[in-house]
Amino acid sequence: MATIRTRSRGREMLLRLSAYLTILVALILTLFPVYWIAANSFKFDIDIFAVPPEWLPRNPTLKHYDEAFIQRPFLRYALNSFLVAAGTTAISVTFGTMAGYALARFSYPWQWRKQISFWILSTRMMPPIVSIIPLYLFFNYFDMLNTKSALIIAYTAFNLPFATWMMKSYFQDLPVELEEAAIVDGDTRWGAFLHVALPLARPGLAATAIFCLIISWNEFLLSLVITLTEQSQTLPIGIAGRVTQYKTYWGEISAAGFMACVPIVIFAFIVQKHLVRGLSLGAVKG
Amino acid sequence: MLKYKGELAKSLQPGGSLEHWTERHLRYLMLAPTVLILLVLTIFPSVYMFYAAVHRISPNPDLPWEFVGTGNFVRLISDPQFHVAVRNTAVFTIVAVALEFVLGLGLALLLDRYIRRLSFLKTVLMIPMMLPPIAVAITWKIIYEPQFGVLNEIMFQLGLPVQAWAGDVNLAMFSIIVADVWQWTPFIFLLMLAGLASLPVEPYEAAALDGASSWRQFWDLTLPFLKPVIAIALLLRVMDALRLFDLVFILTGGGPADRTKVLSLYIYQVAYRFADPGYAAAISLFVLFVTIVLSTWFMKRMRLAE
Repeated sequence: MATIRTRSRGREMLLRLSAYLTILVALILTLFPVYWIAANSFKFDIDIFAVPPEWLPRNPTLKHYDEAFIQRPFLRYALNSFLVAAGTTAISVTFGTMAGYALARFSYPWQWRKQISFWILSTRMMPPIVSIIPLYLFFNYFDMLNTKSALIIAYTAFNLPFATWMMKSYFQDLPVELEEAAIVDGDTRWGAFLHVALPLARPGLAATAIFCLIISWNEFLLSLVITLTEQSQTLPIGIAGRVTQYKTYWGEISAAGFMACVPIVIFAFIVQKHLVRGLSLGAVKG
Repeated sequence: MLKYKGELAKSLQPGGSLEHWTERHLRYLMLAPTVLILLVLTIFPSVYMFYAAVHRISPNPDLPWEFVGTGNFVRLISDPQFHVAVRNTAVFTIVAVALEFVLGLGLALLLDRYIRRLSFLKTVLMIPMMLPPIAVAITWKIIYEPQFGVLNEIMFQLGLPVQAWAGDVNLAMFSIIVADVWQWTPFIFLLMLAGLASLPVEPYEAAALDGASSWRQFWDLTLPFLKPVIAIALLLRVMDALRLFDLVFILTGGGPADRTKVLSLYIYQVAYRFADPGYAAAISLFVLFVTIVLSTWFMKRMRLAE
């Protein structure tokens, strides 16, 4: 008996050790690429090209940040990215919250609730490449190519279904009794939504907004097609523009790429409790 | 269900009848903006694309569209570049999603009991999938760089032959897949952890009493319980993999020798580089068709719309 127990305890120790070892390896594999782009952004060109690679920047410099953000218009790109992300988030969260609430609370004739939910979700599945040609021709026709409004409209197409589904799942988690109590106390149906349900759903609202910001901030393909100049080009387009057939500006793209990642990492930590739900469009509640 | 108290009193107040009407139709009014916006943003492009797909569209905007009927679709059948793009997309989707799934599920099973208390580390492991795909692409471009890249330095230290990676005909697709696996394995891992956390305890206690091996428990209990979460994870990953663009655009540009030319990139090239939007619309319709079939099949199976 005793020998069995020690053996199983030994096995448990081994399992634990291998688990912690795996976590360590996973952490290194996860963080090294991020570290590497950061490290390269602080190196002089000659050190970026060093063989063997310089694992720690020996002569750290802000040269590439100056090149990208002061001499080249990366600050402008970042501002465009932010404005577009904020615009589409405002639209998507406002209308998505109302629609999500309606789909979570109200009943509709002819199974509309199910049909509409399903249809909204399916619009989210539509690959952006499929809509670039009509969107391009459409914006061209209305002379809106190369504007931030065009980007906001295009991004709303995939952020709005996302926001609707997220908010639907948050409202479904709230007990309906509180709203009923408010109505019994004389509040209107809209008032019950505005004064009771909405404040309770605030954490979900914040998480949804942050996810919309992240999705827009990261978007590349639609921006590539719709924008032409720095007046409306977003950060990913600016970065891709410094990878040319003849030369890649390694330092510059490292600096800009790293700066593009910083807000995202901060956001990831803010929404960490909501990550599962956000990434599964509200389908899995973490 | 919900009764409006003082309904009558409200409708008698000045302006009350409008308020009353709003209240009665609230369920439609709250849903209407979203439905209208999405109708304009999705139905309109789809219809417009059908229209574009049956025309030859000149890059010169002053020239009228020429009706070609099914011409663009017939071209699809005999276009070798299109076939290559379909094959590359299929290979990428199957291999990348399979690797991410096996790795993500394996890691979740191994680490589930140990990482629950380490939620900070969990968030750190989640970072890759949140990052801008363009930043991920340039990061791997620096790592793969044949002359001074880190990967070749490691190969050299291990005494292995250095490679051109994204520039090598045989390794290019592999390089794209590795970058994608790096970014998206955490996604599967996170969803599987959430699934594991919600498993009931009793069936396992019963199974342990019956002396079921942990392998049997995995096949007969864990996997069936995880099925809904697995379905969602796979659906979202497959849909994402089908639209792969950013990584290829930066790392290989579809080369070398079209080995990484995927459908999204091909549509982009046809529409803009070859200035043939009509034909690009026809390819887009093919992609849309595949997406709708796949996602409907998935969503019906897991009853996601419930």
